[in-house]
Amino acid sequence: MSTSTNAPPADPQPIKPAISEINKPFWDGCRAHKLMAQRCTHCQEPRYPVAAVCPNCLSTGYEWRELSGRGELFSYIIVHRGYHPYWAQRVPYNVAFIELEEGLRMFSNIVGTPNEELRVGQKVKVAYEERSADLVVPVFEVVKEALD
Amino acid sequence: MAWRKASICGVGQSRQGKLPEETPVTLAAEALRNALEDSGIHKSEIDGLMTLPGTASPEAAKNYLVLGERLGINPRFTGSLVMGGATAGACVELAAMAVQNGMAKVVACIFADTARTAGNKFGAAAGGEDTWAVWGMLGNAANSALGMRRHMALYGTRSDQLGWIAVTCRRHAAMNPNAVMREPITLEDHQKSRLIVDPLHMLDCCLISDGAVCILVTSPERARDCRKKPVAILGMGQGHTMENLRTRDWWYLPHQAQCIAAAYKMAGVGAADIDVAQLYDNFTVAVLFWLEHAGFCKTGEAGPYVEGGTRIALGGDGVPINTAGGNLSESYMQGWLHMVEGVRQVRGECGPRQVTDAEICLVTGRGMTLNTASAMILGQ
Repeated sequence: MSTSTNAPPADPQPIKPAISEINKPFWDGCRAHKLMAQRCTHCQEPRYPVAAVCPNCLSTGYEWRELSGRGELFSYIIVHRGYHPYWAQRVPYNVAFIELEEGLRMFSNIVGTPNEELRVGQKVKVAYEERSADLVVPVFEVVKEALD
Repeated sequence: MAWRKASICGVGQSRQGKLPEETPVTLAAEALRNALEDSGIHKSEIDGLMTLPGTASPEAAKNYLVLGERLGINPRFTGSLVMGGATAGACVELAAMAVQNGMAKVVACIFADTARTAGNKFGAAAGGEDTWAVWGMLGNAANSALGMRRHMALYGTRSDQLGWIAVTCRRHAAMNPNAVMREPITLEDHQKSRLIVDPLHMLDCCLISDGAVCILVTSPERARDCRKKPVAILGMGQGHTMENLRTRDWWYLPHQAQCIAAAYKMAGVGAADIDVAQLYDNFTVAVLFWLEHAGFCKTGEAGPYVEGGTRIALGGDGVPINTAGGNLSESYMQGWLHMVEGVRQVRGECGPRQVTDAEICLVTGRGMTLNTASAMILGQ
């Protein structure tokens, strides 16, 4: 198969995690639309970021549990500068810092709400975005207030 | 009782700005020559070497080997520390402890970089295998912007209040012949400068610079015989939050308050005793947080505190900060010039930007993914 050297540059690839034995269940979970987190089988502490050792009790034993996927927008930023080709095509884009019900915090993106309407403290729930054939990323949607 | 077991006896810097004809080694040599001249110490007396590897030094943590060889220093005590903007303080602290314990007589602490010429954008991401870049959390501005947003939400802090920090530091830089950016700016310039990472504008961000700095640390006895008035280290402190995501108030950088409290305690001083402060300013919001951490104002009140600039400006009614212009306007030497300015203020040699009766100066640094911090109290 030949490729033309004059072809326009392809859409830059999304930035991917480095999949290892340790974090594979998290990313496999995303593909199945489940937000998974480790829980230490020694001290029972839920943990994120994914890690081989419990930073609380130093045990290496853990199990995977599905999280509620509900949380709060703890803080957020709107990036206007392209630090990477993939993201440069998406400026301005938001980065959200989410606090999950289980007390874990993670970076993500908010989808479905214009950046100007984001507010610290908004209730959010997890959603999933397929960024490439082998990458499904957890993102969050703002939960609309129920009408009384 | 203040610590006073080591002193800073010489400071020097290279030219700053864009210096494409220079390398980190030639700049380091320039800074070292100037520090030796400043102190009157001969190079042969240097028996300690602490360094922060610049972004343009590929040898990274082996930087002390490269600088030792190129600058002709065979030390009894050495090492390179990689703690971002907290490293200047951390190097001087380690040097001071080495001197106190007789492991070195004169320690040269050196930082040299050609980040400007190398085109470094400081756009890396944290997070390891699950890199935060998956969600576009890239670059140093992002971490600081995240904290600012939450401060805004909790306390009503505003972008235009940050503007006063940028405007004031530029005014101070205008009085510093060594500063890279001396053209005055207005609050309107700040507000109209393009957004980099909202809520931070371009004029909230520090410069990126080529240059080098050298700080010489020795015993109080040796310092007394040097060319300039010795500056005593009254107190030192460090604080670190390694677990960014696991620490609920990481965004507020509690370790910064801890490192200042430790330095105050060691020096036997409090916020009310500080005559002038050199607060690490990779972004304007850094100053906002330091003002609260240092106890110059209460938690959440730094926005109104900096408004109008009078409390942070030279000749104002508060503690003047970043009297040489800081990372925002003097040069981005990762906080090393903050230490130099602290020394010069305490010596009383700052000319038009000299703080009257500056006896005690607070110098702070912070770095990496906002998880390292150092503080020092310098005095006469």
